[in-house]
Amino acid sequence: MSRRFDIHYVLDFIPKLLAYLNITLLIVGSSIALGLLIGLLVALPRLYHVPGLQRLSRIYVSFFRGTPILIQLFLVYYGLPEVLGWLHIDVSRIAVLYFVILTYALNSGAFISEMIRGAVEAVDKGQVEAAQSIGMSGYQTFRRIILPQALGISVPLFGNLVIGNLKDTSLAFTLGVMEMTGRSQTLGTATQHFIETYIALSLIYFVISVLLERVFVWLERYLNQYAGKEQTGRQQRMARRWQTRLIPISDRGGKQG
Amino acid sequence: MSFDPSFMWTAFLSLFKALPTTLFITIISVVAGFVIGTVVALARLYRIPVLAQIASAYVTFVRGTPMLMHLLLIYFGLPILIDSIAGALGSSFTSASIPLLAFACIAFSITAGAYMSEVVRAGILAVDKGQIEAAHAVGMTTPQALRRIVFPQALAVSLPNLSNSVIGMLHGSTLAYTISVIEINAQAQIVAADNWKYFEAYLAAALLFWGLTVLIERASGWLEYRLNSFQRGGAA
Repeated sequence: MSRRFDIHYVLDFIPKLLAYLNITLLIVGSSIALGLLIGLLVALPRLYHVPGLQRLSRIYVSFFRGTPILIQLFLVYYGLPEVLGWLHIDVSRIAVLYFVILTYALNSGAFISEMIRGAVEAVDKGQVEAAQSIGMSGYQTFRRIILPQALGISVPLFGNLVIGNLKDTSLAFTLGVMEMTGRSQTLGTATQHFIETYIALSLIYFVISVLLERVFVWLERYLNQYAGKEQTGRQQRMARRWQTRLIPISDRGGKQG
Repeated sequence: MSFDPSFMWTAFLSLFKALPTTLFITIISVVAGFVIGTVVALARLYRIPVLAQIASAYVTFVRGTPMLMHLLLIYFGLPILIDSIAGALGSSFTSASIPLLAFACIAFSITAGAYMSEVVRAGILAVDKGQIEAAHAVGMTTPQALRRIVFPQALAVSLPNLSNSVIGMLHGSTLAYTISVIEINAQAQIVAADNWKYFEAYLAAALLFWGLTVLIERASGWLEYRLNSFQRGGAA
């Protein structure tokens, strides 16, 4: 294990790891897309105070935010086939990758639902009242007034979720998925140059994180171009409150925002 | 292989054996992370030359890479560093004598430090500037003003964020199983493999973590209420 450190290996490993970048991005992209859908479905009962369902969605969010993603991965991987087995559905032929995507979707769904709730509640109530007073319907108000503002508010948070999700995909290797981290394990074992592999891998994650952050900063500026000074101040405070995935969105923060 | 609820209790009892390790990693990394975070935040807030640049590079790097990378880099990198230093000094100390738990604690402290520094920074910035000016006006030095005036208020403001970091580190401690530290996740794997009951074992582990998380949230809610009592109106 203790071979001499050799910087050439780092340069050599980067393209080898980048070959598996598409799997990592596939997991991130599809789980975020699915997570947005789940998040919306979970947020709606709480936004409209649907009895019964509201409690269910609260438990869902609490569970997925209250347990480590690693445990969730194993739970879905071992638990889902068993639960579906009771319904006589056989999933033993489905690739591990889909279980991983499902887990990350369920996980980010919980965070996204909180994001949606926070963003919608952060839109000034007077805006809704003004829209209704000029005769807009409920759907029109949502589509034309709430959604554009809520989008602008939630972008910094959403960016953090996506970056957090990217970093979390490094755990998919525990189930044997061949993404970048999985590949780094095999490279490390094959060459016995572990430290060089992990340096190369860290650099790749770092560059992608920074790029994603840039994109979201640009998107935030674009979506908030019509927002007033006072409002952007509030949004910045919100963004500061919810720094990253590791520091999840708190219920209290959502209400204060 | 059918679902066996009674096994969950057996799994629970076995998981409790690993609970101290999880809590130990969490507490060490949170405490060390808070110290690192405070130093880093102060270096950046007071724009201390060189230190401030190193601090922001550290925070950017750690927040831009997965926690697993920090753990693996420390686990594989630190022994090489230590052995070469020990070799150069002619010391007989080898990295093999360092317990695995120490690697996990060091790596997670580094992770926590970067995230905590953002929490501390936001907390200090949230305190009104007039407070520190007033403290200076009554003759306090800057360290005195920070310790007596700014920190207590910053702590109260940043408590929700702080509790979220603690929860994040608790959840992150599950990664330690990758370097064969027996914490709750590793223990769940052992129990599961011994009895071939994976679902029940991981369900028990998930419930345990869920309970711990709710407990931390409750405690921080209560503490927040207490710490902010000076701001509430009414007769006290």
